[in-house]
Amino acid sequence: MNVMGKMRAAAIAGLGLALGFGGVLSAAPGQEQAASAGVKVPKLEFRDVKLDNGLRVILVADHSAPVYGIDVCYNVGSRNERPGRTGFAHLFEHMMFEGSENVAKGEHYVLVFNNGGNMNGTTNEDRTTYFEELPKNQLDLGLFLEADRMRALTVTQEKLDNQRNAVQEERRQSIDNQPYGRAQLDVDSLAYDNFAYKHSTIGSMSDLNAASVDDVKDFFRIYYAPNNAVLTLVGDFDPDEALAKVKKYFGVIPAQPAPPKVDLNEEPHYGERREVIYDPLARLPEIDMAYHIPAGNTPENYAAQQLTYVLGQGESSRFYQRLVKEKQLASEVRVQADTRIGTSQLYISANPRPGVKLEDLEKAIDEEIAAVVKSGVTPEELAKAKSQLLRQFIERRRSALFTAILIGNYTVYFNDPNLINTIVDKEHAVTLEEVNAVAKKYLVTDQRAVVITYPAAYEKASSKGAQ
Amino acid sequence: MRNCSGIWRNAGAAILAPATLATWAALAALAALAGMLLPGAALAQGQGQDKSAPLSQVQRLGRAPVNKEVLRVQLPRPTVAKLKNGLTIVLEEDHKLPTIAFTMWIHPGQLADPGGLPGLASFTAGMLREGTEKRTSEQIASEVDSLGASLDASSRFGVSYTSVNASGLITDAAKILDLMSDVVLHPSFPESELAKYKQSEEASLEQRLANPAFLGQQGFRRVIYGDTPMALASATKESIAKISVEDLQRFHEKHYVPGNTILGVTGDFKASEMRAAIEKYFGAWTGAAEAPEKFAATVAPQATKITLVDRPASVQTYIIVGDRAIRRTDPEYYGLAVMNQVLGGGPQARLFLDLREEHSLTYGSYSRFNAEIYPGDWLAFAPVRTPVTSDAMDRFLYEFKKINSEPVPPEEMDDAHRAIIASFALSLEQPAQILNDWLTVQYYGLPVDYWDKYPDHIGGIDTAGVQATAKKFVDLDHLQWICVGDRKEIEGVLKKYGPVSVVDVTGKAEN
Repeated sequence: MNVMGKMRAAAIAGLGLALGFGGVLSAAPGQEQAASAGVKVPKLEFRDVKLDNGLRVILVADHSAPVYGIDVCYNVGSRNERPGRTGFAHLFEHMMFEGSENVAKGEHYVLVFNNGGNMNGTTNEDRTTYFEELPKNQLDLGLFLEADRMRALTVTQEKLDNQRNAVQEERRQSIDNQPYGRAQLDVDSLAYDNFAYKHSTIGSMSDLNAASVDDVKDFFRIYYAPNNAVLTLVGDFDPDEALAKVKKYFGVIPAQPAPPKVDLNEEPHYGERREVIYDPLARLPEIDMAYHIPAGNTPENYAAQQLTYVLGQGESSRFYQRLVKEKQLASEVRVQADTRIGTSQLYISANPRPGVKLEDLEKAIDEEIAAVVKSGVTPEELAKAKSQLLRQFIERRRSALFTAILIGNYTVYFNDPNLINTIVDKEHAVTLEEVNAVAKKYLVTDQRAVVITYPAAYEKASSKGAQ
Repeated sequence: MRNCSGIWRNAGAAILAPATLATWAALAALAALAGMLLPGAALAQGQGQDKSAPLSQVQRLGRAPVNKEVLRVQLPRPTVAKLKNGLTIVLEEDHKLPTIAFTMWIHPGQLADPGGLPGLASFTAGMLREGTEKRTSEQIASEVDSLGASLDASSRFGVSYTSVNASGLITDAAKILDLMSDVVLHPSFPESELAKYKQSEEASLEQRLANPAFLGQQGFRRVIYGDTPMALASATKESIAKISVEDLQRFHEKHYVPGNTILGVTGDFKASEMRAAIEKYFGAWTGAAEAPEKFAATVAPQATKITLVDRPASVQTYIIVGDRAIRRTDPEYYGLAVMNQVLGGGPQARLFLDLREEHSLTYGSYSRFNAEIYPGDWLAFAPVRTPVTSDAMDRFLYEFKKINSEPVPPEEMDDAHRAIIASFALSLEQPAQILNDWLTVQYYGLPVDYWDKYPDHIGGIDTAGVQATAKKFVDLDHLQWICVGDRKEIEGVLKKYGPVSVVDVTGKAEN
């Protein structure tokens, strides 16, 4: 049943506890123990098939609810954009909802929601993904919608202009009309030299304006081919029947030459990079830092994930206890390590409390970083991080759709759909020494980018002071 | 890290929808989750496009294979019981994953904030984790994180109950219950922790005042709810300074009683064993239910007016427009649900298709309603770039007039019914959502077969029913507009829609 390397012993030993609840209730209150002991994460059996046209198909039968999730993940993101066309991968994602040969503009929304479903699409640096969840009796509908737009997208100037506006409003809503919006973009542009990750996924207004119908057509031909995509189905269906339907809808779409590869190599930096922004929409200062860490799904990246939990996840984390509670310098500290195909980042973001100087907060963050670099994390902290990660992963497995999205991501990013079954092992296998080594090697001032945001009122105040 | 989270995103949902139609909330954040990193997005209820709309670019080719049969499902019935001390428990077994989740609703929440102390309910809830008779704040944090568990309590503004949520792995059920019961029954509200909590609330208030969606909500609640506790959207600088340990103790003693409380549990347990465990941890708790509050069943309508919330340097205007509406138990609930579905219940609804897909004014426009123990509200909203503020208001008015004066075509009615009824299948994989649906039944005193009959009630709303609902609630003479944006750019154009008053971000009148 369950195969999980180091987890196996714990999983089997814990079976009785997981099923019978009564025995656990007598546990002493207040006793701290790693939550992973005794919990079994059900393994997913999946079919992994490649169609003649190169489309990779992953099928997982899950009969726990009368629904299914479908995810089509394309191996293209903003990393594939060229200078002058930033934001294009995401703008293109919008065009995928504007109609295809057998689906009118807006009809996609109508068909999915009016049949009880849910849908969306998202773009990031590394991939673009499209997904629906529907009642199980609408299996053909989801497959048809995804196949039709992969096969025959219809593109017009009018549709492009309309979605260019939608995307520009999206940028205003999430970046330009929000405090710290610019800091969000600038921290990556400071942290990377390689254009692939240096520019933003949302793109610049002028590049969005420059996008043409020909750009859309080229992008579609090059990247939206079956051999550049992964189709994942999870839910209440018979896998043989589902596969037959997949072949019927997708089998006719011709393969294309493999898209050009993108160089994601990021040379080491020497010297801290720093920028100051005066933001008219901010009411409190903010500091945003980014440290280079290795790509996702590497032992060092897994170790970095756990380091972020020790530093900043939960109210018992170091930053929360020291900076928010004990020293009362920060109102909030956020820590996160991302998992990219290429060089990733460990981000730290914090706001000082009203009346606290940003420099004092930065100094305190630096002291915490110096402490973890020097003395490492404790076994208890690491056990806690692992419990939190395990719990989070189990919750992500609840929905058929989200499971499909995860598998699609794992396959496009790391060519490994089975990561859905092994990631818990990989997280469990991280050692204290590995976490400490990662802290030492990557939490290096010379390798970081720092963006400081002050409310614009501070600039006026300081220039008045100078006069 | 910087994910573009979704082709659509109902950005106001998290802030603006306290206790509305429950079914879709479980899917909240899906678009963001898909990016694996960023939290925060939320989805709405969905349905209904209009074939007959002039110029609407949405037409149907009708070539996609659709199964005409609606998959009707039944929500699994929970075990419901009332313990001797008055605590109502709702137990829903779910054996898919080795987890457990507790959800507690404690009446009356923020509506019991005393005059002059807005935020007291919220402070009381927020301080539960900051120390008990036997645990310090740090010990609680450490125990929760060590289990990989979650434990939080909040009393949201406009919601008539405080929520306490705890969840984790099933193997830790006893420890989680122990922690949850400790913070709910025995909080010590240490003076030193309150001082820290106040500092963090001051900072949160500053951050909220920079957020256009919050400013819109704050403005809307003030206008709609006038001189009542429901008008509040957050604590104020003054109340943060004023709230004392004694205030917290008093609020806790008076309102945190089993008679006021429903405890729901879902997860990988046997209901009989869970009941015994709850009795062990909550059985000794005492206190009878408080008498229900009295709210006027009807509210005097206010003539249309505009409140401009001046937020200098804005590049968008965040528009909210709406009015008072209904209580959760009002029979008009079904009509409003269907009408809202047609008007603004998702990207397939009229507002989105009009304002975004046809007129290119916004990233998204939706409508929603909030039905509580008091007559709640309905609203529509859209963030739009500043120069098209007036165009967007015209489109809202066009759609409002249309749903008032033109019968919704049969096919669109059919879509609205099917969207709501068929979506129940999706909720079956979200036990927390099912539990929430049953807590709703218990809390508002709805019949036990409420969800069994819900599809028929929805299906029973016809074209005339939608039109009557629209006429009553989408009342063109009584619309309340809130526009959050840069005053010097938009004040002039707003005047043609009605009298304009201008306030700053804290709600203070500007000259």
